[in-house]
Amino acid sequence: MTPLSGEKSGRRVAIDVGGTFIDYVLLDENTGEIRVDKQPVASEVLTDAVLTGLERIAGDIGTIDQLLHGMTVALNALVEGRGVPVGLLTTKGFRDVLEIGRGGRKQVYDLFYREPPPLVERHLRREIEERIDARGEILITLDPGKLDVELDYLVANGVKAVAICFLHAYRNPLHEQMVRAHIEAHYPELAVTASHEIASEWREYERTSTAVLNSHIQPPVASYLSGLTQELERKGYKKPFAIMRSNGGVCSPQGASEKPVYTLMSGPSGGVIGARKLCGDLGFDNVICADVGGTTFDVALIEHGEVVEVTGMEVARRPILASSIDIKSVGAGGGSIARIDHRGSIAVGPQSAGARPGPACFGFGGDEPTVTDCQLVLGYFDPEKLLGAQISLDIDRARDVIRRKLAEPLQMDVEQAAAGVLSIVEANMSHAIRYMTVERGLDPRDFVLLSYGGGGGLFAARLAEELDIKTIIVPRFASNFSAWGLMMSDYMEDATQVLVRNFIADEFSAIQSTLNELADRTGFVIGEYGFSPEEIDFLYRADMRYAGQDYTISIPLDRQWFDDQRLFMEKVRERFTDAHRRLYGHGDLHAPMELVVIRCRAIGRLSKPDMTVWRGGERELQRPRTRDIFHTGRKAFTRSSIYERDDLAAGIHLDGPAVIEEWSTSILAPSGWRAAVDESGNILMTYLDK
Amino acid sequence: MSQFEQVDIITAEIIRSSIVAASDEMAKTLVRTAYNPVLYDIKDFGVAVLSATGELWSEAPGCLIFGRTLPCTVSSGLRHHASDGFEEGDILIVNDPYETGTHLADTTIYLPIFHQGRLIAFAATTAHWIDLGGMTSGGVCTISRDIYQEGLSLRHQKLYAAGRKNTDLIELIKLNVRIPEVAMGDMSAQIAACKQGALRVKALCDKYSPETVKAAMAQVIDRTDQAMRKMIRALDDGEYAASIKLDIDPEFNVEQPELCLQITIAGEEISFSFEGTTAANAGPLNLPRYGAEAEISAAIKSLLLPDDAANEGHNRALNFIIPDGLLVSPQRPTPVDCYMFVAECLFELVVRALSGVLGERCPAGGYQLCGVGLMRTDPKYGEPFVLMEPLVGGNGATPHDDGSTMMFIGNGDVPNLPTEVLENRYPLRVECYELQPDAAGWGKYRGGCGLRKDYRILEDGVLLLFGTDNSVDPIGRGLFGGKNGEPNEFICRPNTDREMVLRQRVSNYGPFFKDELISIRSGGGGGWGPCTERDPARIIRDVVNGYLDAQQAEDIFGVRMV
Repeated sequence: MTPLSGEKSGRRVAIDVGGTFIDYVLLDENTGEIRVDKQPVASEVLTDAVLTGLERIAGDIGTIDQLLHGMTVALNALVEGRGVPVGLLTTKGFRDVLEIGRGGRKQVYDLFYREPPPLVERHLRREIEERIDARGEILITLDPGKLDVELDYLVANGVKAVAICFLHAYRNPLHEQMVRAHIEAHYPELAVTASHEIASEWREYERTSTAVLNSHIQPPVASYLSGLTQELERKGYKKPFAIMRSNGGVCSPQGASEKPVYTLMSGPSGGVIGARKLCGDLGFDNVICADVGGTTFDVALIEHGEVVEVTGMEVARRPILASSIDIKSVGAGGGSIARIDHRGSIAVGPQSAGARPGPACFGFGGDEPTVTDCQLVLGYFDPEKLLGAQISLDIDRARDVIRRKLAEPLQMDVEQAAAGVLSIVEANMSHAIRYMTVERGLDPRDFVLLSYGGGGGLFAARLAEELDIKTIIVPRFASNFSAWGLMMSDYMEDATQVLVRNFIADEFSAIQSTLNELADRTGFVIGEYGFSPEEIDFLYRADMRYAGQDYTISIPLDRQWFDDQRLFMEKVRERFTDAHRRLYGHGDLHAPMELVVIRCRAIGRLSKPDMTVWRGGERELQRPRTRDIFHTGRKAFTRSSIYERDDLAAGIHLDGPAVIEEWSTSILAPSGWRAAVDESGNILMTYLDK
Repeated sequence: MSQFEQVDIITAEIIRSSIVAASDEMAKTLVRTAYNPVLYDIKDFGVAVLSATGELWSEAPGCLIFGRTLPCTVSSGLRHHASDGFEEGDILIVNDPYETGTHLADTTIYLPIFHQGRLIAFAATTAHWIDLGGMTSGGVCTISRDIYQEGLSLRHQKLYAAGRKNTDLIELIKLNVRIPEVAMGDMSAQIAACKQGALRVKALCDKYSPETVKAAMAQVIDRTDQAMRKMIRALDDGEYAASIKLDIDPEFNVEQPELCLQITIAGEEISFSFEGTTAANAGPLNLPRYGAEAEISAAIKSLLLPDDAANEGHNRALNFIIPDGLLVSPQRPTPVDCYMFVAECLFELVVRALSGVLGERCPAGGYQLCGVGLMRTDPKYGEPFVLMEPLVGGNGATPHDDGSTMMFIGNGDVPNLPTEVLENRYPLRVECYELQPDAAGWGKYRGGCGLRKDYRILEDGVLLLFGTDNSVDPIGRGLFGGKNGEPNEFICRPNTDREMVLRQRVSNYGPFFKDELISIRSGGGGGWGPCTERDPARIIRDVVNGYLDAQQAEDIFGVRMV
């Protein structure tokens, strides 16, 4: 397994499965060549589609040195209800935790608001006589002899996977371990998830939900990955096959099969990890990552060079305890549908025409005006060239649907209505970005905007203007950027331990041994990938709060503090107080504190490809074609220059109004913006202050 | 239509969504910077952006009622100071329930937004402060006899005047509250939230001109009003009524207080009157007028135009006829600290009365607030602690499905307290947290189950507070033939010779000692439609899943399981 961390590999391939297309990037480090491709998703036979595209771009699969995979299999299994029937074992008196949830009414004016129904029906939630208290002490000992009656009931009722969640198992997992051992010995056909293995954190509803979800999607994910791995082996690929997780790190297919719940946000993670690498190389510390796809607009933040993460999230309205890149999704993409709302105004999204029937201009039968239709009408792209001409766009259809559904009822002309739709989408996107920064006490003006995905380049300049951001980066191969980003990831393993202790010197040895124990546990997993102990990096964090508070702040811990009690206590206090002051405007270095959770991440670093040099294009700008384009911020059609991205050599710059077209996407530079091509072929746009 | 022509509809929509985003940012800032868990966990707050005349431009709902009490509060401030009585840099504070509509704990802080020297708008926040003095802490005094016993009253005083801090006033507040650092922390959070809103409104004025912003919002309000009127025109004219009885508190009254609501739909407007409603209580079970209007507005918006944030346009077609001195219009110095029980009844009454005309747009009735307080205040027993939690309970069945078990309507997005967190923090153990199907009202669709939560007391000296009402006349009523849900109930020391069943509000009940058990059963939701119409397939699932036993299936539905 040494090629992982050691010398440069030759041919790397990243495969990113999205909603509509599978994106590929091939990088040949010996020649510096980089190639991209797209393969339509055919959901019935995903493995075939993945392999078809792979063979097209890479030829002989056996010659690939490194293969990375961002996947939506886990997410789709959940969203499309293709998981297996699950049985749940809980502490006696608590079988309804899964059904009751947290009980808040998230839409306050919706009298019919309710949470999605539990994934496990009530009679399949079986109670076990056992109890552990908040300190981890056993009050009622579990009797394995009483398990069979419950398990037999579950099996008889068609259950294929079992989730176990006992109270306070994050503190003492013994009973969960006993049940797992019993099931493995006596019911080997059942897939098992014990809550402490998947989410060793307090809050029983979220932990139960996470364990149940994991059980639910485990069989389909495992079957997809084992099928794909076997096919790859059969075709001669013997090297490690790395799967992207929601936290931006990769793991083995086996790791992903055991804990598929960690891969739910696998798809969009690649772009953010790529953004960290690209922007780091370019010298930008604070980055807003904006990925505009067909149905959603996904935003993530990089602050001081670090990806902003969360330790819990919701997927398909169900909570999951797992570290993940904080990616906020807004229902605003190329396929988003515009309609007239109850006020007689225009509303856009979250309904989307998706890929089928798709925007009206695709000619697949879509009969609702979408964002893409509006962009076409306003001259944003060449009807003949989108997606490398795999689809030619019907501008008359687009005009017609906008006229019928929006312009005529609102007594506007078609262009006005189309521009209105785009302005509203731009406003929604900028609100989402601003909200995310305000949430953390940050100011968007301190960030650069990295815009990618098929629609990224079309919105970037207007979003930046709305947010008063002066610098935009549109990476090379913007529409395949998430796939490229997969190559910038590392093997990562996370573990947590809830402690809830007063932060006092007496607790230091317990804290110290927890830190060591977590490092051993995560380091072992990374070691299994072939990394030697000295090659493994560890990151530690503590979730701290002032005594009496409910919420915590997660702060990073430095390894060199761990051997010195006084230093450790002092530094942690300082760092927590600083963080508290930064977020909340006040903090007291000497107030009593509590340490609530310890987190550890082991990292096995993969070698990263160097930035490839862009040698193509022309050194001199040719006299461009022109086209009339309606820039929403300027409220008028403007004669704009049209460039081919491939014609622009490194070092060239040009001023808006202009459109830079490339395979499968375009970049819009309104007047006032200058676009410059850097030596790797990325386009940096800057706002020219007058 | 003249106003419409000043701003095109696209610009108006972008300005509207920007003002909504501004109120969302205010809410986020408030939650992020607050000290007090009632704000960041329980979300007992409201934020709003309002016009220079106090009309609601947008809000970010925490608790439903504040979406409408905030414009009333700012309007009362405008009457108090007059429209030229504000300066740039002013920040005002008010918590007098007769100006704000709820109770003293709900403290409103607001500021005027100026652009180039002209008053453009207001940014306002209401937040439940954990203590404002008074005879009890926490903001739900059950025994007050006048407003003075409920704490410190503030009425549109300036915390900052033209940017200058009013140190005297702030010192006075600190001197009159039990935990001044938390009060000051929440005050700063509210100021930060208002400033965030002001920043966004000013930026919009810079970008579009203040005239455009004002004209756009006037257009949005007019269009919303027209949408409301269109909805109302489609309803059958007529008078619709409903009434409900609250509990007698022998300390304060001799007859059962009754809330009677009449709703008259005429053309494109709706009027609300309260003939037959009991006079204001001598105790704190009273809802100030603005709160009553706000609760009705929220209910009507929920029924007719539930999508997106509220603005003034949701309210213009509503007329209120409320004489002074009723349960819903007490006069100073009547106490009001238990206003929330009346408010919840009122919401349910609106839905119930209009079910006669709206039919399938109405769910059946849900449970009344079920508040649990477990605390130790006497240090002779050990370290003091206070646990306050509103429990989830049964919501009404809907026209197409069984009801759910979650927070009651008026409390919005308030999550419960996880058992694992509770047991780490308090000397209590939860022995049971399960659905209570017997509390639900059956029907074609079943009301939401109640909750059973059993607390084992692990240390001596624990006192109990039970916040509830409607023990005799439950608000979880069935609709169209559905059965009623059961009211909230506390069973102290069940199955012992000291067992005591409580169905009415108590505070400082106890003390309880080590190993004693308190079993709490929150109420259930009402059913929708007659039991005879329940799909037998559902009944079978009910038995399989333990919502019904085989005997009940036979008794209630005549379905025999074989």
